[in-house]
Amino acid sequence: MIRAEGLSKQFGGFVAARDLSFEVKPGEIFALLGPNGAGKTTTVRMLACLIGPTSGQAVVAGLQVGRQDDAIRARIGVLTETPGLYEKLSPAQNLRFFARLYGLDAARIDSQVARYLEMLGLSARRDEPVSGFSKGMRQKLAIARAMLHEPQVLFLDEPSSGLDPEAARVVREFIAELRDEGRTILLCTHNLDEADRLADRIGVIKQRMIEVGTADALRRRLYGSSLAVRLRGATDAQVAAVRALAFVSDVTRRGDELLLAMPEPARTAPDVVRELVRAGADVVSVVEERRSLEDVYLTLVDGRP
Amino acid sequence: MNLSRLAAVVGKEFLEMRRNRLLLWTIGLPPLALTLLPPAILLAVRYLPAQEVSPEEISGFAKLVPQLTSFSTDELMELFLLRTFLTIFLLLPLVLPLTIAAHSIIGEKQLRTLEPLLSTPITTAELLLGKSLAAVAPAVVATWLAYAVFFSTMPWLVSTPQVYRALLEPTWLLAAVALSPLLSLLSVSCGVAISARVNDPRSTQSVSVLLILPVISVVAGQAVGWFLLDLRLLCVGSALVALVDAAILYAGVLLFDRETILTRWK
Repeated sequence: MIRAEGLSKQFGGFVAARDLSFEVKPGEIFALLGPNGAGKTTTVRMLACLIGPTSGQAVVAGLQVGRQDDAIRARIGVLTETPGLYEKLSPAQNLRFFARLYGLDAARIDSQVARYLEMLGLSARRDEPVSGFSKGMRQKLAIARAMLHEPQVLFLDEPSSGLDPEAARVVREFIAELRDEGRTILLCTHNLDEADRLADRIGVIKQRMIEVGTADALRRRLYGSSLAVRLRGATDAQVAAVRALAFVSDVTRRGDELLLAMPEPARTAPDVVRELVRAGADVVSVVEERRSLEDVYLTLVDGRP
Repeated sequence: MNLSRLAAVVGKEFLEMRRNRLLLWTIGLPPLALTLLPPAILLAVRYLPAQEVSPEEISGFAKLVPQLTSFSTDELMELFLLRTFLTIFLLLPLVLPLTIAAHSIIGEKQLRTLEPLLSTPITTAELLLGKSLAAVAPAVVATWLAYAVFFSTMPWLVSTPQVYRALLEPTWLLAAVALSPLLSLLSVSCGVAISARVNDPRSTQSVSVLLILPVISVVAGQAVGWFLLDLRLLCVGSALVALVDAAILYAGVLLFDRETILTRWK
Protein backbone atom coordinates (compact mmCIF):
# COMPACT_ATOMS: atom_id res chain seq x y z
CA MET A 1 0.00 0.00 0.00
CA ILE A 2 2.99 2.27 0.66
CA ARG A 3 6.35 1.67 -0.98
CA ALA A 4 9.38 3.94 -0.68
CA GLU A 5 12.50 3.33 -2.74
CA GLY A 6 15.64 5.31 -2.01
CA LEU A 7 13.65 8.28 -0.76
CA SER A 8 15.87 11.21 0.24
CA LYS A 9 15.25 14.79 1.25
CA GLN A 10 17.80 17.53 1.55
CA PHE A 11 17.16 21.08 2.78
CA GLY A 12 20.13 23.14 1.61
CA GLY A 13 23.12 21.34 3.08
CA PHE A 14 21.06 19.44 5.67
CA VAL A 15 20.06 15.88 4.88
CA ALA A 16 16.73 15.18 6.60
CA ALA A 17 16.22 11.73 5.11
CA ARG A 18 18.67 9.56 3.23
CA ASP A 19 17.92 6.68 0.91
CA LEU A 20 14.86 5.36 2.73
CA SER A 21 13.40 2.12 1.39
CA PHE A 22 10.55 0.29 3.03
CA GLU A 23 7.14 -1.11 2.34
CA VAL A 24 3.90 -1.03 4.30
CA LYS A 25 1.51 -3.83 3.43
CA PRO A 26 -2.27 -3.37 3.18
CA GLY A 27 -3.93 -3.46 6.60
CA GLU A 28 -0.62 -3.13 8.43
CA ILE A 29 0.46 -0.66 11.10
CA PHE A 30 4.04 0.32 10.42
CA ALA A 31 5.72 2.41 13.12
CA LEU A 32 8.56 4.76 12.30
CA LEU A 33 10.74 5.14 15.39
CA GLY A 34 13.55 7.59 15.66
CA PRO A 35 14.94 10.44 17.77
CA ASN A 36 14.01 14.09 17.20
CA GLY A 37 15.27 15.23 13.82
CA ALA A 38 15.58 11.66 12.54
CA GLY A 39 13.42 12.45 9.52
CA LYS A 40 10.11 10.87 10.57
CA THR A 41 7.96 13.92 9.86
CA THR A 42 9.90 14.64 6.67
CA THR A 43 9.20 11.08 5.52
CA VAL A 44 5.48 11.43 6.23
CA ARG A 45 5.40 14.78 4.44
CA MET A 46 7.06 13.29 1.38
CA LEU A 47 4.67 10.33 1.29
CA ALA A 48 1.67 12.61 1.88
CA CYS A 49 2.78 14.76 -1.07
CA LEU A 50 3.29 17.84 1.09
CA ILE A 51 6.93 18.19 0.11
CA GLY A 52 8.79 16.69 -2.80
CA PRO A 53 11.64 14.21 -2.35
CA THR A 54 15.10 15.29 -3.49
CA SER A 55 15.63 11.82 -4.92
CA GLY A 56 14.02 8.41 -4.89
CA GLN A 57 10.44 7.48 -5.51
CA ALA A 58 7.39 6.31 -3.66
CA VAL A 59 4.01 4.78 -4.37
CA VAL A 60 1.05 5.41 -2.08
CA ALA A 61 -2.30 3.68 -2.57
CA GLY A 62 -1.12 2.58 -6.00
CA LEU A 63 -0.29 6.13 -7.12
CA GLN A 64 3.07 7.66 -7.85
CA VAL A 65 4.25 10.39 -5.46
CA GLY A 66 5.25 13.49 -7.40
CA ARG A 67 3.07 12.63 -10.40
CA GLN A 68 -0.39 12.02 -8.93
CA ASP A 69 -0.20 14.15 -5.80
CA ASP A 70 -3.76 15.51 -5.86
CA ALA A 71 -5.17 12.01 -6.29
CA ILE A 72 -2.99 10.70 -3.45
CA ARG A 73 -4.08 13.50 -1.13
CA ALA A 74 -7.70 12.61 -1.84
CA ARG A 75 -7.09 8.99 -0.77
CA ILE A 76 -5.05 9.43 2.36
CA GLY A 77 -5.69 10.83 5.83
CA VAL A 78 -2.99 12.78 7.62
CA LEU A 79 -2.73 13.54 11.32
CA THR A 80 -0.09 16.24 11.50
CA GLU A 81 2.36 16.76 14.34
CA THR A 82 0.23 19.60 15.77
CA PRO A 83 -3.58 19.32 15.60
CA GLY A 84 -3.88 22.61 13.64
CA LEU A 85 -7.56 23.31 14.27
CA TYR A 86 -9.53 26.48 13.65
CA GLU A 87 -9.83 27.72 17.22
CA LYS A 88 -12.83 29.99 16.75
CA LEU A 89 -14.85 27.30 15.01
CA SER A 90 -16.66 24.40 16.64
CA PRO A 91 -15.66 20.75 16.11
CA ALA A 92 -18.63 20.30 13.77
CA GLN A 93 -17.63 23.37 11.73
CA ASN A 94 -13.99 22.24 11.57
CA LEU A 95 -15.02 18.79 10.35
CA ARG A 96 -17.63 20.04 7.90
CA PHE A 97 -15.02 22.29 6.27
CA PHE A 98 -12.59 19.43 5.74
CA ALA A 99 -15.35 17.06 4.63
CA ARG A 100 -16.19 19.53 1.85
CA LEU A 101 -12.53 19.77 0.84
CA TYR A 102 -12.49 15.97 0.54
CA GLY A 103 -15.52 16.21 -1.75
CA LEU A 104 -18.14 14.53 0.42
CA ASP A 105 -21.75 15.28 -0.51
CA ALA A 106 -24.05 17.10 1.90
CA ALA A 107 -25.79 14.02 3.29
CA ARG A 108 -22.52 12.16 3.80
CA ILE A 109 -20.95 15.20 5.47
CA ASP A 110 -23.68 15.18 8.12
CA SER A 111 -23.45 11.45 8.75
CA GLN A 112 -19.64 11.32 8.83
CA VAL A 113 -19.29 14.33 11.11
CA ALA A 114 -21.89 12.88 13.51
CA ARG A 115 -20.27 9.42 13.33
CA TYR A 116 -16.74 10.51 14.20
CA LEU A 117 -17.77 13.03 16.83
CA GLU A 118 -19.76 10.24 18.50
CA MET A 119 -16.99 7.67 18.08
CA LEU A 120 -14.40 9.94 19.72
CA GLY A 121 -16.73 11.19 22.47
CA LEU A 122 -17.00 14.78 21.24
CA SER A 123 -20.72 14.89 20.41
CA ALA A 124 -21.72 16.72 23.57
CA ARG A 125 -19.43 19.64 22.69
CA ARG A 126 -19.89 19.59 18.94
CA ASP A 127 -20.98 23.25 18.76
CA GLU A 128 -18.54 24.82 21.22
CA PRO A 129 -15.45 26.71 19.96
CA VAL A 130 -12.36 24.51 19.85
CA SER A 131 -10.40 27.19 21.76
CA GLY A 132 -11.84 25.82 25.02
CA PHE A 133 -10.79 22.23 24.34
CA SER A 134 -8.12 20.22 26.14
CA LYS A 135 -5.11 18.88 24.26
CA GLY A 136 -6.62 15.40 24.26
CA MET A 137 -9.91 16.61 22.76
CA ARG A 138 -8.06 18.54 20.09
CA GLN A 139 -6.03 15.50 19.17
CA LYS A 140 -9.17 13.35 18.93
CA LEU A 141 -10.76 15.98 16.72
CA ALA A 142 -7.67 16.07 14.49
CA ILE A 143 -7.87 12.29 14.14
CA ALA A 144 -11.57 12.54 13.26
CA ARG A 145 -10.65 15.12 10.61
CA ALA A 146 -8.18 12.71 9.02
CA MET A 147 -10.84 9.98 8.92
CA LEU A 148 -13.83 11.84 7.45
CA HIS A 149 -13.39 10.56 3.91
CA GLU A 150 -12.63 6.99 5.08
CA PRO A 151 -9.11 6.82 3.66
CA GLN A 152 -7.49 3.43 3.28
CA VAL A 153 -4.06 4.88 4.07
CA LEU A 154 -3.41 6.91 7.20
CA PHE A 155 -0.33 8.85 8.26
CA LEU A 156 -0.35 9.49 11.99
CA ASP A 157 2.44 11.74 13.25
CA GLU A 158 2.83 11.45 17.04
CA PRO A 159 -0.86 10.70 17.69
CA SER A 160 -0.57 10.48 21.48
CA SER A 161 2.15 13.07 22.00
CA GLY A 162 1.52 15.21 25.08
CA LEU A 163 -1.69 13.45 26.02
CA ASP A 164 -2.51 12.27 29.52
CA PRO A 165 -2.55 8.47 29.97
CA GLU A 166 -6.34 8.23 29.68
CA ALA A 167 -6.53 10.27 26.47
CA ALA A 168 -3.52 8.42 25.06
CA ARG A 169 -5.28 5.13 25.72
CA VAL A 170 -8.44 6.31 23.93
CA VAL A 171 -6.31 7.32 20.93
CA ARG A 172 -4.44 3.99 20.95
CA GLU A 173 -7.68 2.03 21.13
CA PHE A 174 -9.04 4.04 18.23
CA ILE A 175 -5.93 3.33 16.14
CA ALA A 176 -6.30 -0.38 16.95
CA GLU A 177 -9.93 -0.20 15.74
CA LEU A 178 -8.75 1.40 12.51
CA ARG A 179 -6.30 -1.43 11.98
CA ASP A 180 -9.09 -3.94 12.64
CA GLU A 181 -11.08 -2.23 9.88
CA GLY A 182 -8.21 -3.07 7.51
CA ARG A 183 -6.67 0.36 7.09
CA THR A 184 -2.98 0.79 6.38
CA ILE A 185 -1.32 3.04 8.93
CA LEU A 186 2.10 4.67 9.01
CA LEU A 187 2.64 5.72 12.60
CA CYS A 188 5.42 8.09 13.67
CA THR A 189 6.01 7.96 17.37
CA HIS A 190 8.46 8.49 20.19
CA ASN A 191 6.33 6.30 22.38
CA LEU A 192 8.02 2.90 22.31
CA ASP A 193 5.27 1.23 24.31
CA GLU A 194 2.72 2.52 21.80
CA ALA A 195 4.75 1.16 18.90
CA ASP A 196 5.20 -2.18 20.68
CA ARG A 197 1.46 -2.50 21.33
CA LEU A 198 0.14 -1.28 18.00
CA ALA A 199 2.67 -1.85 15.26
CA ASP A 200 2.86 -4.98 13.18
CA ARG A 201 6.33 -3.90 12.07
CA ILE A 202 8.75 -1.21 13.12
CA GLY A 203 11.23 0.82 11.14
CA VAL A 204 13.96 2.53 13.18
CA ILE A 205 15.32 5.58 11.38
CA LYS A 206 18.00 8.14 11.97
CA GLN A 207 18.07 9.96 8.63
CA ARG A 208 18.54 6.52 7.05
CA MET A 209 16.58 3.35 7.77
CA ILE A 210 18.57 1.45 10.39
CA GLU A 211 16.43 -1.64 10.78
CA VAL A 212 12.97 -2.91 9.83
CA GLY A 213 11.07 -5.82 11.34
CA THR A 214 8.54 -6.93 13.91
CA ALA A 215 9.38 -5.96 17.49
CA ASP A 216 10.06 -9.61 18.34
CA ALA A 217 12.24 -10.12 15.29
CA LEU A 218 14.28 -7.06 16.21
CA ARG A 219 14.68 -8.35 19.77
CA ARG A 220 15.78 -11.75 18.52
CA ARG A 221 18.16 -10.28 16.00
CA LEU A 222 19.84 -8.10 18.58
CA TYR A 223 19.67 -10.17 21.72
CA GLY A 224 18.76 -13.68 20.60
CA SER A 225 16.05 -15.44 22.59
CA SER A 226 16.30 -16.76 26.11
CA LEU A 227 14.38 -18.37 28.93
CA ALA A 228 14.60 -17.19 32.55
CA VAL A 229 14.10 -20.01 35.08
CA ARG A 230 13.87 -19.27 38.81
CA LEU A 231 14.68 -22.17 41.14
CA ARG A 232 14.55 -22.65 44.89
CA GLY A 233 18.23 -23.16 45.80
CA ALA A 234 19.86 -23.76 42.44
CA THR A 235 22.81 -26.17 42.42
CA ASP A 236 25.77 -26.61 40.08
CA ALA A 237 24.45 -30.03 39.09
CA GLN A 238 21.16 -28.54 37.97
CA VAL A 239 23.00 -25.88 35.94
CA ALA A 240 25.09 -28.59 34.33
CA ALA A 241 21.96 -30.61 33.52
CA VAL A 242 20.38 -27.78 31.47
CA ARG A 243 23.69 -26.86 29.89
CA ALA A 244 23.85 -30.38 28.55
CA LEU A 245 20.62 -29.92 26.59
CA ALA A 246 21.40 -29.75 22.86
CA PHE A 247 19.27 -26.72 22.10
CA VAL A 248 20.72 -24.59 24.96
CA SER A 249 23.61 -22.53 23.64
CA ASP A 250 24.53 -20.75 26.87
CA VAL A 251 23.55 -20.64 30.56
CA THR A 252 24.07 -17.64 32.81
CA ARG A 253 23.48 -18.07 36.54
CA ARG A 254 22.27 -15.09 38.56
CA GLY A 255 21.83 -16.46 42.09
CA ASP A 256 18.81 -18.77 41.93
CA GLU A 257 17.88 -17.63 38.42
CA LEU A 258 19.21 -19.30 35.31
CA LEU A 259 19.19 -17.45 31.98
CA LEU A 260 19.20 -19.94 29.13
CA ALA A 261 20.05 -18.77 25.60
CA MET A 262 18.10 -20.88 23.13
CA PRO A 263 15.94 -20.65 20.00
CA GLU A 264 12.17 -20.87 20.31
CA PRO A 265 11.88 -20.80 24.12
CA ALA A 266 8.11 -21.19 23.97
CA ARG A 267 8.47 -24.59 22.26
CA THR A 268 11.39 -25.97 24.26
CA ALA A 269 10.53 -24.67 27.76
CA PRO A 270 8.76 -27.95 28.80
CA ASP A 271 11.96 -29.92 28.00
CA VAL A 272 13.98 -27.56 30.19
CA VAL A 273 11.52 -27.91 33.09
CA ARG A 274 11.49 -31.72 32.76
CA GLU A 275 15.32 -31.86 32.84
CA LEU A 276 15.52 -29.58 35.88
CA VAL A 277 12.91 -31.61 37.80
CA ARG A 278 14.80 -34.76 36.90
CA ALA A 279 17.94 -33.11 38.39
CA GLY A 280 15.99 -32.50 41.62
CA ALA A 281 15.26 -28.78 41.15
CA ASP A 282 12.28 -26.96 42.64
CA VAL A 283 11.10 -24.77 39.74
CA VAL A 284 9.52 -21.54 40.97
CA SER A 285 8.89 -19.77 37.63
CA VAL A 286 9.68 -20.04 33.94
CA VAL A 287 9.35 -16.99 31.67
CA GLU A 288 10.56 -16.14 28.22
CA GLU A 289 13.03 -13.30 28.62
CA ARG A 290 11.83 -10.31 26.64
CA ARG A 291 14.07 -7.31 26.25
CA SER A 292 12.13 -4.07 26.14
CA LEU A 293 11.66 -2.28 22.85
CA GLU A 294 13.50 0.58 24.50
CA ASP A 295 16.61 -1.63 24.71
CA VAL A 296 16.21 -2.53 21.05
CA TYR A 297 15.68 1.09 20.06
CA LEU A 298 18.64 2.47 22.03
CA THR A 299 20.90 -0.26 20.72
CA LEU A 300 19.93 0.53 17.15
CA VAL A 301 19.96 4.31 17.44
CA ASP A 302 22.85 4.91 19.81
CA GLY A 303 24.69 1.59 19.63
CA ARG A 304 24.17 1.01 23.37
CA PRO A 305 24.37 -2.65 24.47
CA MET B 1 -10.85 24.56 -10.31
CA ASN B 2 -13.24 22.73 -7.99
CA LEU B 3 -16.08 25.13 -7.12
CA SER B 4 -17.22 23.13 -4.13
CA ARG B 5 -13.78 23.37 -2.51
CA LEU B 6 -13.63 27.07 -3.42
CA ALA B 7 -17.02 27.62 -1.74
CA ALA B 8 -15.85 25.65 1.30
CA VAL B 9 -12.86 27.98 1.75
CA VAL B 10 -15.02 31.10 1.34
CA GLY B 11 -17.59 29.74 3.80
CA LYS B 12 -14.95 28.87 6.39
CA GLU B 13 -13.38 32.32 6.08
CA PHE B 14 -16.75 33.98 6.66
CA LEU B 15 -17.36 31.81 9.72
CA GLU B 16 -13.98 32.75 11.17
CA MET B 17 -14.57 36.43 10.40
CA ARG B 18 -17.92 36.36 12.18
CA ARG B 19 -16.24 34.96 15.29
CA ASN B 20 -13.40 37.51 15.29
CA ARG B 21 -14.76 40.63 16.94
CA LEU B 22 -11.56 42.62 16.60
CA LEU B 23 -11.49 41.95 12.89
CA LEU B 24 -15.17 42.87 12.57
CA TRP B 25 -14.51 46.22 14.25
CA THR B 26 -11.50 46.77 12.03
CA ILE B 27 -13.63 46.10 8.98
CA GLY B 28 -16.70 47.99 10.19
CA LEU B 29 -15.28 51.20 11.57
CA PRO B 30 -13.64 52.78 8.49
CA PRO B 31 -16.77 52.54 6.29
CA LEU B 32 -18.89 53.86 9.13
CA ALA B 33 -16.55 56.79 9.71
CA LEU B 34 -16.25 57.57 6.00
CA THR B 35 -20.04 57.37 5.54
CA LEU B 36 -20.75 59.71 8.45
CA LEU B 37 -18.05 62.20 7.54
CA PRO B 38 -19.61 63.86 4.43
CA PRO B 39 -22.95 64.69 6.12
CA ALA B 40 -21.10 65.86 9.23
CA ILE B 41 -18.83 68.15 7.23
CA LEU B 42 -21.72 69.48 5.13
CA LEU B 43 -23.65 70.35 8.29
CA ALA B 44 -20.57 71.85 9.89
CA VAL B 45 -19.90 74.02 6.85
CA ARG B 46 -23.52 75.16 6.83
CA TYR B 47 -24.05 75.90 10.51
CA LEU B 48 -20.67 76.83 11.88
CA PRO B 49 -19.22 80.26 11.21
CA ALA B 50 -16.68 79.80 8.45
CA GLN B 51 -14.42 81.81 6.29
CA GLU B 52 -15.78 83.00 3.01
CA VAL B 53 -14.55 80.82 0.15
CA SER B 54 -13.20 82.82 -2.76
CA PRO B 55 -13.84 81.57 -6.31
CA GLU B 56 -10.05 81.36 -6.85
CA GLU B 57 -9.75 78.68 -4.18
CA ILE B 58 -11.79 76.23 -6.19
CA SER B 59 -10.94 77.61 -9.58
CA GLY B 60 -8.97 74.49 -10.49
CA PHE B 61 -12.02 72.31 -10.01
CA ALA B 62 -14.38 74.77 -11.73
CA LYS B 63 -12.03 74.99 -14.67
CA LEU B 64 -12.32 71.22 -15.23
CA VAL B 65 -16.13 71.27 -15.25
CA PRO B 66 -17.20 74.07 -17.64
CA GLN B 67 -20.85 73.04 -17.50
CA LEU B 68 -20.97 74.19 -13.88
CA THR B 69 -20.85 77.86 -14.84
CA SER B 70 -24.34 78.39 -13.46
CA PHE B 71 -23.20 77.19 -9.99
CA SER B 72 -22.61 79.64 -7.21
CA THR B 73 -19.30 79.54 -5.37
CA ASP B 74 -20.98 77.83 -2.40
CA GLU B 75 -22.56 75.22 -4.66
CA LEU B 76 -19.23 74.62 -6.40
CA MET B 77 -17.53 74.27 -3.05
CA GLU B 78 -20.14 71.77 -1.88
CA LEU B 79 -19.91 69.77 -5.08
CA PHE B 80 -16.13 69.72 -4.91
CA LEU B 81 -16.23 68.52 -1.31
CA LEU B 82 -18.71 65.75 -2.05
CA ARG B 83 -16.89 64.57 -5.17
CA THR B 84 -13.73 64.38 -3.10
CA PHE B 85 -15.52 62.12 -0.63
CA LEU B 86 -16.80 59.93 -3.43
CA THR B 87 -13.21 59.48 -4.55
CA ILE B 88 -12.06 58.85 -1.00
CA PHE B 89 -14.65 56.05 -0.75
CA LEU B 90 -12.39 54.17 -3.16
CA LEU B 91 -9.93 53.78 -0.31
CA LEU B 92 -12.35 51.37 1.40
CA PRO B 93 -11.99 48.49 -1.08
CA LEU B 94 -8.21 48.93 -0.84
CA VAL B 95 -7.76 49.08 2.90
CA LEU B 96 -10.45 46.70 4.23
CA PRO B 97 -9.59 43.48 2.37
CA LEU B 98 -5.92 43.87 3.13
CA THR B 99 -6.68 43.56 6.84
CA ILE B 100 -8.82 40.50 6.20
CA ALA B 101 -6.34 38.85 3.84
CA ALA B 102 -3.40 39.48 6.16
CA HIS B 103 -5.21 37.75 9.04
CA SER B 104 -6.45 35.03 6.74
CA ILE B 105 -3.09 33.71 5.50
CA ILE B 106 -0.91 34.59 8.46
CA GLY B 107 -3.64 33.36 10.81
CA GLU B 108 -3.27 29.94 9.17
CA LYS B 109 0.46 30.12 9.79
CA GLN B 110 0.03 31.11 13.41
CA LEU B 111 -2.58 28.42 14.16
CA ARG B 112 -0.52 25.84 12.24
CA THR B 113 -3.60 24.92 10.25
CA LEU B 114 -1.90 25.05 6.88
CA GLU B 115 -0.37 21.59 6.99
CA PRO B 116 -3.68 19.76 7.55
CA LEU B 117 -5.24 22.06 4.96
CA LEU B 118 -2.54 21.39 2.37
CA SER B 119 -2.75 17.65 2.98
CA THR B 120 -6.26 17.68 1.47
CA PRO B 121 -6.80 17.66 -2.31
CA ILE B 122 -7.19 21.47 -2.38
CA THR B 123 -5.03 23.20 -4.99
CA THR B 124 -3.01 26.34 -4.29
CA ALA B 125 -5.16 28.33 -6.72
CA GLU B 126 -8.40 27.19 -5.00
CA LEU B 127 -7.02 28.08 -1.59
CA LEU B 128 -5.76 31.52 -2.57
CA LEU B 129 -8.76 32.42 -4.70
CA GLY B 130 -11.14 31.29 -1.93
CA LYS B 131 -9.34 33.40 0.61
CA SER B 132 -9.22 36.36 -1.78
CA LEU B 133 -12.95 36.20 -2.54
CA ALA B 134 -13.75 35.98 1.16
CA ALA B 135 -11.70 39.11 1.77
CA VAL B 136 -13.04 41.00 -1.27
CA ALA B 137 -16.74 40.42 -0.64
CA PRO B 138 -17.13 42.24 2.72
CA ALA B 139 -15.00 45.14 1.48
CA VAL B 140 -17.04 45.54 -1.68
CA VAL B 141 -20.32 45.31 0.22
CA ALA B 142 -19.06 47.91 2.72
CA THR B 143 -18.06 50.21 -0.17
CA TRP B 144 -21.43 49.77 -1.86
CA LEU B 145 -23.19 50.53 1.41
CA ALA B 146 -21.11 53.67 1.82
CA TYR B 147 -22.06 54.83 -1.70
CA ALA B 148 -25.73 53.87 -1.11
CA VAL B 149 -25.93 55.75 2.17
CA PHE B 150 -24.20 58.72 0.60
CA PHE B 151 -26.53 58.98 -2.38
CA SER B 152 -29.68 58.30 -0.38
CA THR B 153 -28.96 60.96 2.28
CA MET B 154 -27.56 63.70 0.06
CA PRO B 155 -30.91 64.98 -1.34
CA TRP B 156 -31.68 66.17 2.19
CA LEU B 157 -28.24 67.52 2.95
CA VAL B 158 -27.09 69.42 -0.15
CA SER B 159 -27.98 73.11 -0.33
CA THR B 160 -29.65 72.98 -3.77
CA PRO B 161 -31.10 70.18 -5.96
CA GLN B 162 -28.69 71.05 -8.78
CA VAL B 163 -25.72 70.06 -6.61
CA TYR B 164 -27.30 66.62 -6.12
CA ARG B 165 -28.09 66.32 -9.83
CA ALA B 166 -24.45 67.13 -10.62
CA LEU B 167 -23.37 64.33 -8.31
CA LEU B 168 -25.50 61.75 -10.11
CA GLU B 169 -22.98 60.70 -12.73
CA PRO B 170 -22.40 57.23 -14.21
CA THR B 171 -18.79 57.66 -13.08
CA TRP B 172 -19.72 56.73 -9.50
CA LEU B 173 -21.83 53.78 -10.57
CA LEU B 174 -18.82 52.43 -12.45
CA ALA B 175 -16.58 53.23 -9.50
CA ALA B 176 -18.83 51.23 -7.18
CA VAL B 177 -19.66 48.32 -9.47
CA ALA B 178 -16.39 47.80 -11.35
CA LEU B 179 -13.49 49.68 -9.84
CA SER B 180 -14.23 48.83 -6.19
CA PRO B 181 -14.11 45.04 -6.68
CA LEU B 182 -11.01 45.40 -8.85
CA LEU B 183 -9.26 47.55 -6.25
CA SER B 184 -10.26 45.03 -3.58
CA LEU B 185 -8.80 42.23 -5.60
CA LEU B 186 -5.61 44.24 -6.09
CA SER B 187 -5.30 44.79 -2.39
CA VAL B 188 -5.99 41.13 -1.56
CA SER B 189 -3.63 39.78 -4.22
CA CYS B 190 -0.86 41.96 -2.82
CA GLY B 191 -1.76 40.88 0.72
CA VAL B 192 -1.77 37.20 -0.21
CA ALA B 193 1.49 37.43 -2.13
CA ILE B 194 3.24 39.28 0.67
CA SER B 195 1.80 37.24 3.54
CA ALA B 196 3.05 34.08 1.85
CA ARG B 197 6.53 35.43 2.56
CA VAL B 198 6.21 37.10 5.98
CA ASN B 199 5.02 36.01 9.42
CA ASP B 200 3.43 39.15 10.82
CA PRO B 201 0.09 40.63 9.66
CA ARG B 202 1.49 44.12 10.29
CA SER B 203 4.12 43.62 7.60
CA THR B 204 1.36 42.91 5.10
CA GLN B 205 -0.77 45.81 6.25
CA SER B 206 2.11 48.24 5.84
CA VAL B 207 1.76 47.68 2.12
CA SER B 208 -1.58 49.49 2.28
CA VAL B 209 0.40 52.71 2.53
CA LEU B 210 1.69 52.06 -0.98
CA LEU B 211 -1.65 50.90 -2.35
CA ILE B 212 -3.59 53.99 -1.28
CA LEU B 213 -1.13 56.31 -3.00
CA PRO B 214 -2.86 56.19 -6.43
CA VAL B 215 -6.24 57.06 -4.90
CA ILE B 216 -4.71 59.86 -2.84
CA SER B 217 -3.04 61.11 -6.02
CA VAL B 218 -6.43 61.24 -7.76
CA VAL B 219 -7.88 63.25 -4.85
CA ALA B 220 -4.90 65.62 -4.91
CA GLY B 221 -4.93 65.85 -8.71
CA GLN B 222 -8.56 66.91 -8.69
CA ALA B 223 -7.94 69.41 -5.90
CA VAL B 224 -5.22 71.22 -7.79
CA GLY B 225 -7.12 71.04 -11.04
CA TRP B 226 -4.82 68.69 -12.92
CA PHE B 227 -7.58 66.31 -13.92
CA LEU B 228 -11.07 65.17 -13.06
CA LEU B 229 -12.06 61.60 -12.32
CA ASP B 230 -14.53 61.20 -15.14
CA LEU B 231 -16.00 58.17 -16.89
CA ARG B 232 -13.16 57.89 -19.41
CA LEU B 233 -10.42 58.07 -16.81
CA LEU B 234 -12.30 55.59 -14.63
CA CYS B 235 -12.65 53.12 -17.53
CA VAL B 236 -8.93 53.34 -18.29
CA GLY B 237 -8.09 53.04 -14.59
CA SER B 238 -10.36 50.01 -14.16
CA ALA B 239 -8.82 48.23 -17.14
CA LEU B 240 -5.34 48.95 -15.80
CA VAL B 241 -6.21 47.66 -12.33
CA ALA B 242 -7.76 44.51 -13.86
CA LEU B 243 -4.48 43.77 -15.67
CA VAL B 244 -2.40 44.36 -12.55
CA ASP B 245 -4.84 42.14 -10.58
CA ALA B 246 -4.33 39.24 -12.94
CA ALA B 247 -0.55 39.62 -12.85
CA ILE B 248 -0.36 39.82 -9.06
CA LEU B 249 -2.79 36.92 -8.53
CA TYR B 250 -0.66 34.79 -10.81
CA ALA B 251 2.50 35.86 -8.97
CA GLY B 252 0.76 35.09 -5.66
CA VAL B 253 0.10 31.49 -6.72
CA LEU B 254 3.74 31.16 -7.81
CA LEU B 255 5.06 32.70 -4.59
CA PHE B 256 2.89 30.43 -2.44
CA ASP B 257 5.37 27.59 -2.33
CA ARG B 258 3.89 24.78 -0.23
CA GLU B 259 7.24 23.28 0.68
CA THR B 260 8.79 26.53 1.85
CA ILE B 261 5.70 27.36 3.83
CA LEU B 262 5.61 24.01 5.61
CA THR B 263 9.29 23.69 6.32
CA ARG B 264 10.38 27.24 7.05
CA TRP B 265 7.40 28.89 8.75
CA LYS B 266 7.89 28.83 12.53
